[in-house]
Amino acid sequence: MSFLQPMLLAALPIIALPIIIHLINQRRYQTTRWAAMMFLLAANRMSRGYARIRQWLILLFRTLAIAGLIFAISRPLASGWLGVTAGGRADTTIILLDRSPSMQQLGPGAVVSKLETGRQQLAKTLETLGSTRFVLIESTKNIPRELNAPEDLLNLPETEPTSTSADLPAMLQAAHSYIEANQSGRTEIWICSDLRENDWNAESSRWKSLRDSFLEFTQGVRFHLLAYPRAAPQNVAVRVTDVRRQQTSEGVELLVSLHLTREADSDDRLAVPVQLEIDGARSEINVDMVGSQYELKDYRIGLTENQKRGWGRVSIPADANPADNDFYFAFDEPPERHTLIVADDPTNVRPLQLTASISPDPQAKSIATVVTEDQLGTVEWEQMALVLWHAPLPDAAIAQQLTNFVSRGGRVVFFPPRSTSGREFMGVAWQQWQKTPKEVGIETWRSDQDLLERTLSGTSLPVGELLIREYCELSGEVTPLAELPGGKPLLARVTTDHGGVYFCATTPAPSDSTLATNGIVLYVAVQRALASGAEALGNTRQLVAGEQPIELATTWERLTSDEEGLSTEYAFHRGVYTAGDRLLAVNRSAEEEQASLLADERVAGLFNGLDFARVDDEAGTINSLIEEIWRVFLAVMMVSMIVEAALCLPRIRPTQGSAT
Amino acid sequence: MFPDGNRREFLDPSALSRLSGLPLFARRPMMGSVSGRHPSPHRGASVEFAEYRKYVPGDDLRRLDWRAYGRTDRFYVKEFEADTNLRCCLVLDTSGSMDFGSGDITKLQYARKIAGALSYLAVQQGDAIGLSCVAENMIQNIPPRRNPAHLMHVFDTLEKAVPKDGTQLTSVLHELAETIRQRALIVIISDFFVEPAELRSCFEHLQFRKHDVTAFHLLDPQELGFEFRRPMRFLDMEGGPAIFAEPNEIADRYHKALQEYLENFKQVVLQTGIDYHRTVIDEDYEKVLTQFLAGRTRARGVR
Repeated sequence: MSFLQPMLLAALPIIALPIIIHLINQRRYQTTRWAAMMFLLAANRMSRGYARIRQWLILLFRTLAIAGLIFAISRPLASGWLGVTAGGRADTTIILLDRSPSMQQLGPGAVVSKLETGRQQLAKTLETLGSTRFVLIESTKNIPRELNAPEDLLNLPETEPTSTSADLPAMLQAAHSYIEANQSGRTEIWICSDLRENDWNAESSRWKSLRDSFLEFTQGVRFHLLAYPRAAPQNVAVRVTDVRRQQTSEGVELLVSLHLTREADSDDRLAVPVQLEIDGARSEINVDMVGSQYELKDYRIGLTENQKRGWGRVSIPADANPADNDFYFAFDEPPERHTLIVADDPTNVRPLQLTASISPDPQAKSIATVVTEDQLGTVEWEQMALVLWHAPLPDAAIAQQLTNFVSRGGRVVFFPPRSTSGREFMGVAWQQWQKTPKEVGIETWRSDQDLLERTLSGTSLPVGELLIREYCELSGEVTPLAELPGGKPLLARVTTDHGGVYFCATTPAPSDSTLATNGIVLYVAVQRALASGAEALGNTRQLVAGEQPIELATTWERLTSDEEGLSTEYAFHRGVYTAGDRLLAVNRSAEEEQASLLADERVAGLFNGLDFARVDDEAGTINSLIEEIWRVFLAVMMVSMIVEAALCLPRIRPTQGSAT
Repeated sequence: MFPDGNRREFLDPSALSRLSGLPLFARRPMMGSVSGRHPSPHRGASVEFAEYRKYVPGDDLRRLDWRAYGRTDRFYVKEFEADTNLRCCLVLDTSGSMDFGSGDITKLQYARKIAGALSYLAVQQGDAIGLSCVAENMIQNIPPRRNPAHLMHVFDTLEKAVPKDGTQLTSVLHELAETIRQRALIVIISDFFVEPAELRSCFEHLQFRKHDVTAFHLLDPQELGFEFRRPMRFLDMEGGPAIFAEPNEIADRYHKALQEYLENFKQVVLQTGIDYHRTVIDEDYEKVLTQFLAGRTRARGVR
């Protein structure tokens, strides 16, 4: 049990008052001369029994009455939050609210989600506990926001559910920064989450540094975890893995690939009617699920000739978590893939032009434009998907244009010029050309991802067959995708937030390599870069909620969505939006379907050394986490007083007869 | 009665004059030295016929009943009851406990009033009065006499009686039973804070000696009520150890002990047949004595 006014417990010694008064009263006796001593002696010899117990009982109930009063005014709490407020009211209370889709899971037999229950519980609890300042850090933006009162948790749109995964370490980092910046005094951090592994990133190295930095605070920071770890084994999630519009001899059709995931791996057969909605037209597929996964590949839906772009939704019937029952998608004609080839000598880039302009998909048209650096002013950057830069690294002005292009999702591949200029781009610069004594092959390359990844059939690209005769050395921080003997990078990628920047250390020129003559690798790499760039800059996009900069979403307009949300928060809510003439389908991340929870010991380990308390709650619970129970103590006091009064009542004695 | 014109505190002339209208009778035959108002075990010269008995040589011929001789031709002597005076011995408890009194009067003062009135009434009707003051032993013993000068001596002794020391009532009563000549009226005025079982033997001893025993049991209202509010330290008036008690706590047991004592005393009284008067000292002593005397009048005639 804990108390809201623990200081008042200092008055507890007052419960000794009845005993002290009793002792003082014993001292304040009167002396009288007495004749009938024989009766007093006889009375003393008799068993005191009830009389003595009665005296003790009176003292006990008087003590209880005072104790009840003191406890009542100390405002006791009945809760599992051991020591929730030992030390009194907090100066600052920071609430970390997990708004991820998994928090929308409903309780068994309840219509209230984990998030809703958590918000209500927190509002009630914090209202009771009180604090000088309440700060909310919700999981989408991780920006501290001050609340006027805990009940704001129930009203603010920033506490509504989203489709964005949470990042608990980032939220805690935000809390840490807030405490550091605001000198928040004694702080309590309340975390409301369902302990999903993908939200907590328990393996992240940030946890250790966070723990260490919280330990450095001298003002005392207490952590309270309100956890909703209950799983929903029968919950099914639906996801669209691919949508393609395809023209066949029979007409236009849409190929939709689906993936259904059940939380628990069960052999029970589960019939799931999957509803597909495309521009308002609905169709239904009945799926029999056995096990935890179900994959539907290229389900064909006929389209009219005019339906070149549009959006759709796949939905399954309501189950434990309504947040993963829908998935939105958008489709469009494949956009033209524009490649810009910047070359100091356009005649040298013929192989590049060929690889960029021959499209592997007859539906997608590829156009490669060769320009010199001087002609860059006329380029329409918005249409470009890929830039192949076979010239000295750009100067500052053009570098800025390139950086903007990359941050919008574009791809750039740099090829070394004959004469290096000493300029650098994103911290990487060309060094000296090196001529190999004899032709060398590529020693290692990344075949698991990026440009040199294996094909879908699992076949490796013939990277090992390439021969390098000359290459230009690189300086700067890069991630090698292919390396020459001695660890010299041949193809490297620069780390960026968006888009992709690659450096290829040789050119397709026959004097430098066999990239052109053995053109498969070059073709695949260029087409892959072009495809990803085109996808990023294309008219339709499948977006993961929360991964877009929030500023971009401010211009979006909503076409459809199940979730209510502010227009400034469109990036966090699933649905279909338009941005200019582009269609955007925003959905939850794939990690949300991994229902694995953080083990209890792991959670305890994350807060090891910190002042940490945890309570597990369930969605739909009505009982408060904490409840003031001063009424009980007041009742104890009153009952004690009544019993004490009853015990003190003088007993009715028979009247004594006078003389016979 | 009032030397030097000073009134004795324990004597109220008006009350005495009212009480003198009631005779003091003994409940059983007395053996006085002179003629009086009390029945005697012997035949005498009163007007009350007792019996006929056969003449034996030596009898006074004047007492021969000639009418009976004429009817039966046998000699009978006619005998009459004898009336005698009594010896009244007052036994006054002067132990320390008799000094207790929660009201205006102590038990000893009350006892003085009873003893003084009885002395006066006895002498008034020609009976002898004696006084024994007892505490841990016999403090004073005045043998019964019937002249007024003796009454003054008794009054003086009563006046000077001082309550102190403990009580050895039982041993003194045994001693008195032996020392007082047979057939006396023995009036014990005491609070009887002695075990009733011990008193039983005393009373039986006195009865065995043909004494008419009367007991005035003096009790204070506070001793019966035991009503205190605050913790009390009770000092023994007879020099025993003091007792500290919380009245609320001990009252029940005190009353239980008191009731048990009174019950046992009642049993002793019933079994020994003494004339017992439990007297609470806030009562009017005149009323108590009136009841006492009236009760005796009713019981008279038993020889």
